[in-house]
This record gives sequence, structure tokens and C-alpha cells, in this order.
Amino acid sequence: MTLLSEILELPDSPEAVFSAFCEREWCDGLPIIPPTLERVESMLGAVAGDPQESLGALPPLWREATLEKLAVNAVMAGCLPAHFPVVLTAVEAMLDPAFNLYGVQATTHPVAPLLILSGPYARAIGMHGGSGCFGPGFRANATIGRAIRLILMNVGGGWPGRHDMATQGSPAKFAYAIAENEAACPWAPLHVELGYAPDQSVVTVFGGEAPHNVNDHVSTGAAGILHTVSDTAATLGSNVKWYLSQSQLLLVLGPEHAATIAGDGLSKGEVKRFVFEHARLPLGTLKLGGMWGIQDWPEWMRAVTDDRTLLPIVASPEEIFVIVAGGAGKHSAVVPNSTFSRAVHRPLTRLLNGGHRE
Amino acid sequence: MELAKGGTPAGLIATTTFEPLAAAELRARGIGGLPLLVIDHPLGGEKPDGVLRRAQQAVRELVALIGVKP
Repeated sequence: MTLLSEILELPDSPEAVFSAFCEREWCDGLPIIPPTLERVESMLGAVAGDPQESLGALPPLWREATLEKLAVNAVMAGCLPAHFPVVLTAVEAMLDPAFNLYGVQATTHPVAPLLILSGPYARAIGMHGGSGCFGPGFRANATIGRAIRLILMNVGGGWPGRHDMATQGSPAKFAYAIAENEAACPWAPLHVELGYAPDQSVVTVFGGEAPHNVNDHVSTGAAGILHTVSDTAATLGSNVKWYLSQSQLLLVLGPEHAATIAGDGLSKGEVKRFVFEHARLPLGTLKLGGMWGIQDWPEWMRAVTDDRTLLPIVASPEEIFVIVAGGAGKHSAVVPNSTFSRAVHRPLTRLLNGGHRE
Repeated sequence: MELAKGGTPAGLIATTTFEPLAAAELRARGIGGLPLLVIDHPLGGEKPDGVLRRAQQAVRELVALIGVKP
């Protein structure tokens, strides 16, 4: 295996390695695993493909995303080799033009690619979709999410304040990766809904804000919970609704909320329809600020003059995704997208021996 | 950028804050010589007099870049 990355000679101490990487602006501010030749080769061993194969040029500096460079960053993030196929698939998905990675990388909006892993590989590598799934404690979630960020910074060149122009950034930019809680999902999981087989594993990348909490401790039926979801989704300050054709919403229902909703007999499609019809703001509210005056709306919305008219925040129910994740409790989350990036799905295809080369 | 690569006269407009990103983008795309017109940041949330100042600044910059008066 021939690798081309520069070899650094550094003192054999964690502190020295960490300092050297910080000085070169090669990390996110947290300690890294030194990407030694052996570790990088081990990472590359988990996937099919030549180390110099490029998945494409990553914006905003348009540097080639070779498997070698991706593996270096996956090692630094603390990934196991079995995690690497997920990282690779996510990069492939982010390079789909529909995802508009340049926009995601360079915008002032606090968008981060949320990675959702659906299917059996999530269980195989311990990708967590249960209690606290958006938070700390789970290696696969933390390191796969972190690897994505390190790749976007080190290969893409999205350094905060220089080429990543996010006004405030987001905690989601450190690591933003979860699995679905398929065991607690009363409906088909996302990948099956999209037409993949149940035994396939699929990565979704969604250019979203950090999760917005949905607290509903009192509703005993679907309508109450979904009204709370809808109200959380429809806010003046969110990008969603201003560029309507690109607006998408992700609903991450907690298992208890999902069970209550499904218990009332609602399908996923009916959940989407309900939220589409109720997550709306009156024209008069939209005129108060946000992006009023520079919005991109279809003609029928531009023609509305009655300030009491309720206007949708996405173009159709199909622009709403529904998954189940989390553990016990009466909380769900709404993740609005950035409105210049559409969700992309890719099946895992580069697995070698379950993620380990023999 | 695609226009410039095809030979059509073209340039890039950026605000001061985004100038480093715009310059890096031009270099990365191999068209570092493309004219870069820079005006004061920000653009959003400006009152009419601020918008007018930027428009006047943009015209001055454009004249300097292309060497002719409108």
C-alpha cells in the first residue's frame, strides 16, 4: 500500500502531537489519535478502493478527497476501521450536487451535516439511536461525526472565520451523527421508506441546524404532540420557509411520542401531512423580520395579501422526513435544514469483510 | 467562474469579510486573476443610505477594475 502523505517526526508524547496538530490548524481543538502509517493502513483496510482514489474535490478549497486523506482524518477522530465505510459513504453523499457542500461549508448559517445511519450496520458498529443519541457517550456516533468535521476542515479547508463563514457555528459542528432507533419505530425505518431493502444499510446526510427540542408531557394523542412539533418547526428565525423550494424538515420523534402517534393509527405519511398543514406562520408574522423581502416563494405565495393567511414552511409533505430516535421521555426534536442543501441518501457499498480486511 | 473559463469577461463581487474566501476560491479554481470587486460588509440589514454608499463604492471599484467610466 503506497501512501503519499507527508511524514512528520514528532516527540513521542500525546501533548507534543496535539500541540503540533493545533499549531498547523489540523484539528478541531480536541486531542487526536496520531495518524501513524500503521493506523492509516488499518483504516484503509476496511474498505474497497485504492488509497489514491478520490471521491471528488471538497469545497471550499476544492482539494481531492482521496481515500488516504479521509483515512488520516478518520484515525485522528478516533474511528475504528469498521466505522470508515460509513465515513466514506457520507463523503460520497455530501459530494452529490443536491447537497450543495460549498454552500454548507461557506455559509454564515450554523448548518452541519447530520449523518443518519439506517439498517443493520448501525447495530453492528454500535451506532447509537437510543437515549441521548445526539449527545456524548457513544464512540461510533462521536468519532464518525468528528471524522466528517475533520475532513470538512482539513481536506475541504472549511476553517472557522476564514472559509467556514458561520456567524456563530454550532455544537453540531463537532460531531453530528446518529442511528435510527429502529426497534422502537412503529413504522418502516427511513431506508425502507426510501425503497432500500431492510437488510441494506444506508447513510443519509441532512444539512441541518442543531436539534430544536419538542417538549410535550401532556398530550395523550397524536394531534397534541404533532401540534407541538408543528409549533416548534414554524419559527420566524429559521431559514426554512424563506427559500421554499429548498426547505426541508427532519422530525426526530422520541419513541414515546412516536408510540402515542402510531397508537392513534397515524402512518408516517399522515404525520408528514399533519405537520405540513399545521407548521405554518401568518403572513403578518413573516413580515416582521427574518428574510422578509428577499424570500424566494412560488407565485401563489407571493400573491397572498391577507396578513392572517397561514403560509407553509415547506413546499409539500414529501419535504418532511420522519425518523424515530432517542430513549425514554416525552421529548422529540425538529431539525430544520439550511434551505440551500437537500438531503442525500447513499447505501453502504465499500464494505470489506464487515469493515475489516483479513 | 464558468463564464470566465469560457472567455466571457466576468468578475466576482464580495464584501470585505468574504474577500479571503473569494480570493481562496478563485485560486483553488485556477482563475486567481479574475477581477474581484470588494465592497464593505455587511449587505443585509442596511438602511437605504448604507445601500447607496455600497452601490457608489461598487461603481468606483468597477471603474477601477475595467478602466472605463460608465
